[in-house]
Amino acid sequence: MKLKRDSGEELDLELVARDGANVRVRVGEYEIAAEVQSLSGDGAIVTIGGRRYRVAGARRNSSILVAVGPRNFEFRPAEEARRRQRGLAAAEIVAPMPGKVLNVMVREGDRVDTGQPLAVLEAMKMETTLAAESPATVKRVCVTAGQMVDHGAVLIELSPPPDSSGRESVPPET
Amino acid sequence: MKKRTIAKLLVANRGEIALRIIRTARTRGIKTVAIFSAVDAASLHVALADEARRVGPAEAAKSYLNIDAIVAAARETEADAIHPGYGFLSERPEFARAVADAGITFVGPRADVMAALGDKVSARKIATAAAVPVVPGIETGDVKAVRSFAAEHGYPILVKAAAGGGGRGMRVVADDKSLESALEAASNEARAAFGDGRIFVEKYLTRPRHIEIQILGDEHGGMVALGERDCSIQRRHQKIIEESPAPGLADTTRAQMIAAALSLARSAGYTNAGTAEFMVEGDKFYFLEVNARLQVEHPVTELRYGVDLVAAQLAVASGGRVSELPAPRGAAIECRIYAEDAEHDFRPAIGTVLQLNVPSGPGVRFDSHMAPGAVVGAWYDGMLGKLICYGEDREQARARMVAALDEFTLLGVINTAAYLREIVASDAYRDADLSTHFIEEHFKNWRGGSESDDAALVAAAMTAAGALGARVSSTEAAMNDGRVARDRSPWNELAGFELWKSSR
Repeated sequence: MKLKRDSGEELDLELVARDGANVRVRVGEYEIAAEVQSLSGDGAIVTIGGRRYRVAGARRNSSILVAVGPRNFEFRPAEEARRRQRGLAAAEIVAPMPGKVLNVMVREGDRVDTGQPLAVLEAMKMETTLAAESPATVKRVCVTAGQMVDHGAVLIELSPPPDSSGRESVPPET
Repeated sequence: MKKRTIAKLLVANRGEIALRIIRTARTRGIKTVAIFSAVDAASLHVALADEARRVGPAEAAKSYLNIDAIVAAARETEADAIHPGYGFLSERPEFARAVADAGITFVGPRADVMAALGDKVSARKIATAAAVPVVPGIETGDVKAVRSFAAEHGYPILVKAAAGGGGRGMRVVADDKSLESALEAASNEARAAFGDGRIFVEKYLTRPRHIEIQILGDEHGGMVALGERDCSIQRRHQKIIEESPAPGLADTTRAQMIAAALSLARSAGYTNAGTAEFMVEGDKFYFLEVNARLQVEHPVTELRYGVDLVAAQLAVASGGRVSELPAPRGAAIECRIYAEDAEHDFRPAIGTVLQLNVPSGPGVRFDSHMAPGAVVGAWYDGMLGKLICYGEDREQARARMVAALDEFTLLGVINTAAYLREIVASDAYRDADLSTHFIEEHFKNWRGGSESDDAALVAAAMTAAGALGARVSSTEAAMNDGRVARDRSPWNELAGFELWKSSR
């Protein structure tokens, strides 16, 4: 199973063996041996190398949530990572949080540069400016000012900028 | 002034503070009325109150900020007092006035006093008249005027909303170049947050601490101060850790600050609980603003003084007199746990609480409206709860806080508990190297350590294989992935999977 951590790191994770409380988990090239003791409530105690951790986990449709003590981890299927395409830091500008679109500064066909503000989102009474992470061409503007958007909603689609020879570079995979 | 009895109290708020106020009212035999918006019907504060009234849809502007609906709810339920909590309408003089006009007791200062103190510009005038030092500043959004102010006092300068509190719209401007855009953005944000786009500009202190004095005044001229709170640890100009006493604050400076706060409050004719906020650099302090309400961080004061500030507010609001207070004891620290991702620029998180482990033990208090099934949406402030720890001294309070946060788990909504734990456990915090730049200096671009990574990976693999935790139902998962629930009860949320499922 290929998962992506919220840090962006991709992992190949597999529950290799389970024999009573003893569990082996493969992470890419290496393996973790752990003892897992489920608790009377939800959650479990995971013992690795003599150290005990209190963990909890839940599956959501698009992610796995894990807590180790106070710490939260979120893992998503790695497929999402494929939405990123060659020549672009991000093919889609998505809402990092639920909120209201205050302003859209670009139109379809616009050429934008790294760091150029594309849209302003307001959430929790804070304004967040979303900027281009690389040079690109605006392929589609999906929202209008005043619109409420959810976390993860695509606001603007980008395509790679024409390369130095003037031709469009490789079209995005979908 | 005659003594008025409060028999039924409407709490014009939600979340942990509504619960907090209802709890005190119950201990005093006062009936309570909760108000709620469409998305809060299943909230704990609604469950704990004797009565509850829906005041509008999810949008705060039409529910928790809806003065007409709230006053009507108080009339219908024959509540004789309204407690505004903090945030929402708590510092809106027009609300205090509307409540008073309806013949209902407002638990807070009079509307005119609130208006005078709530506006930063007029508050400065009152402070200056009371010989309380203030940071040089002017109220103007005019670029030219601000340029000449900056030329006189030097950059950096601070640009902020003239109305409201809580640091909304604040921007530090380092030079002439970025001035114009900062003024515009601050004005927009101020208008969005407070419906008032006026701007206040002041000299920016380089490495100040934020220390505030709790005051409590009655209608008979009685006024007491309940010591100070250091609230220097802030992100985005909003407090996340507060404590009392302020470590290393000289007794003489503390005494001067208390005298200044009392003199300011007296000259403003202040009644009920309030807080005078100061910036402190060395032994110099400058008045910042008065928060004419109960503060989020009031529990640290309660623990040191052994008082119930909400009970004191209710007593004063019914015409009672403030009494001399016992001397404070020990030390208390509060951590605000927010639905935010500290590893990603504190972006807000939403979700449903799937598991909650609440710490306990001597000196540990958790003020929160969270419970398994509680839905955290994007409509309101994302504070999930406050963990407050008391100790005989700061070190004991700090050790208890670290242990308590280690014991804390909230699964379902990404939150700042682990981040707070790292801060409180750090050398910088232990050594009380406090300034409002603490986060910037010590915890900028924080990433959690890797020591629990393997445990997380094991848990993730087990969860993916269905061997750990709950499979969240698709409707609930859809909500978690961005859509906000309407009128769902925790039981609806939890339908479709076993909460207490054990590993196979």
